[in-house]
Amino acid sequence: MSDTSVLEPAAPAATPEPPAPAKPTIVERLKAVPWLGWVVAVAGAPVIFGAFVAVKGVNPFTMYADMLASLTTPAQAETVIIRAVVLVLAGLAVAVPARAGLLNVGGEGQIVIGAVCAAGVGLVTDQRLPGVVVLVLMLLAGAVGGALWAGLAAGLRLTVKVNEAISTLLLNFVALDLMLGLIYDPWKDASGFGQPSSRPLVDEARLPLFAPGSKLNVGLVIAVIAVVAVWWALKKTEWGFRLRVVGGNPEAARQAGMRVGLLLVSAMLVGGALAGLAGMVHMSGTEFKLRPGMTLNFGYIGFLVSWLAGHRPLRVAAAAVLLAAIAMAGDSLQINSGLPAASVNVLMAVVLLVVLGSNLRSRKVTA
Amino acid sequence: MNLITEVAAGGVRGGTSILFAALGETIAERAGIIYLGIEGSMLTGALTAYAVTASTGSPWVGVVAGGVAGALLALVHAVVVLWRGANQLATGFVVLFLGLGLTSLFGAAYVGREISAFKPYAVPLLSDIPFVGPVLFNHDPLTYLSYLVAPAMWWLLYRTKVGLTVRGAGEKPEVLRAYGHSPVLVRYLAVVGGGLLAGVGGAQLSTAYTNAWFENMTMGRGFIAVALVIFAAWHPLRAVSGAYLFGAALALSPALQARGIGLNQFVLDALPYVVTLLALVVLGRRRANAAPDGLSQVFDMTPAR
Repeated sequence: MSDTSVLEPAAPAATPEPPAPAKPTIVERLKAVPWLGWVVAVAGAPVIFGAFVAVKGVNPFTMYADMLASLTTPAQAETVIIRAVVLVLAGLAVAVPARAGLLNVGGEGQIVIGAVCAAGVGLVTDQRLPGVVVLVLMLLAGAVGGALWAGLAAGLRLTVKVNEAISTLLLNFVALDLMLGLIYDPWKDASGFGQPSSRPLVDEARLPLFAPGSKLNVGLVIAVIAVVAVWWALKKTEWGFRLRVVGGNPEAARQAGMRVGLLLVSAMLVGGALAGLAGMVHMSGTEFKLRPGMTLNFGYIGFLVSWLAGHRPLRVAAAAVLLAAIAMAGDSLQINSGLPAASVNVLMAVVLLVVLGSNLRSRKVTA
Repeated sequence: MNLITEVAAGGVRGGTSILFAALGETIAERAGIIYLGIEGSMLTGALTAYAVTASTGSPWVGVVAGGVAGALLALVHAVVVLWRGANQLATGFVVLFLGLGLTSLFGAAYVGREISAFKPYAVPLLSDIPFVGPVLFNHDPLTYLSYLVAPAMWWLLYRTKVGLTVRGAGEKPEVLRAYGHSPVLVRYLAVVGGGLLAGVGGAQLSTAYTNAWFENMTMGRGFIAVALVIFAAWHPLRAVSGAYLFGAALALSPALQARGIGLNQFVLDALPYVVTLLALVVLGRRRANAAPDGLSQVFDMTPAR
């Protein structure tokens, strides 16, 4: 609970008999509709963003028309799916720890480390081992790397009480500098020109495509499996149940004999592994190498995805597609309206602020 | 100038923006609200100060505008958290995104533009003292301002009724309420005031330190400031030394490079963040007890709703 609850006047003492259920007002009935917050956010945010854009001298209506038009071309729609795949994994990386009451703001760093570990394995093995083996090794390396990077924050939290929101944030910058340090020097592609980068992986070490000519890779399958697996793990397993208890009331969990520390670490490790997978999928499915700026803020947007989805796995998938579409529309913004692509952060932020401030979703999740 | 003097002087100059932000965060957290979006307030402050300086020609007008811009962004955080009861950490992060987006939307026109920035002013006599002179007394006016703001903040928090009210809002809001004050109002003012200071910090960055505007120019300084507040145990004066330490870590990389010392630049770039983490590790357990009561609730178990 937020500490503002302290400020509320004390709730009246429980009455002996249960109060008769009051007839719900229209507002209350509207608030009970779970998707309404989404609708308000999705409808209200463009108005605010449009106002800002109008101040900038760009006609918001043409801008939105351009944005929508750009998304309907098959190539763009495909890119939205490809990015949504990474965002699903990045979103789940936030959602799992959030169930245990942990705030993983380090998705970006974990994605970077996942990509670095996967690339490291790929660079060593891709010319020696069969493609399938290389890909499996890269997947493992990405997941383990991401998990360890997140585990660092979990360890700090449990041993020296450093809040994980702060430590994961700081670790993002360390991870990024680590990657840059590698590709500017030891892993630098000697034959590359312009921007420093690592050597592109050979074709066999790239994620297979669904159809020739399409850019859609099997990362989509990985994301779908991840969504179902996380949904199942949180909903159907003892572990998922315990995570929710810890997230709801750690003291109660402790008194019930649960090993809270272990549960917290496990949630963070799973989250980190998912982010690491996101890094691997993006590196081996789209980029094929490490380069500066390759993460495209996936980790940070993944954080927004999870909060937009109320940390629920199936909704994470939907939210990932929505934010991927907004992010892609940002590119059209640059081309058609001459506004910087990063401007769409305003749109995303306003959507999130409305959702966070609406309280509609939160009541449902705690129920 | 030798290496130590250069790094120390660079630490003060480069640490000033972090110091302003850390002081702002201190006042917000003392009132019981953590504002993770302080980086966003720095960014909006940096851009607004730069833009206003560009159009008015006066960096002082720019700084005032930058402070107001930082305060306005903090107000968004305050409204969503205090009025709507949203999660503080998540909201702060989203507010940062808002600041990032707004500054890239409105900042593109100012990339590469020249302004009449603050000039370093050597304090007569004092700047002639060996080592101390160049390190402390040959800076831009905003750095001198920070010399005044930090002790003033300490005095405000610990020696005035206003400070008692702010700390009361963070520790025992119910007591404050019993004395007829509104803890919510105090928190609003503390968060907005914190955003104002962060905006001034951002202004120092763009109009006195780099003398340029570019997208996401704060590069994590706001997060360092948030960590610094914990490191300093929510004490304004301890924040000073911390800010300069991290400023020095930032200044080390260019100073070494200028001397042709061949270290991987990115190892050095990671230094401020690693130093911050290490400081939290070393001091974490001890500092956690110093947290305002209202804040420990946020920190102890991050609510995931």
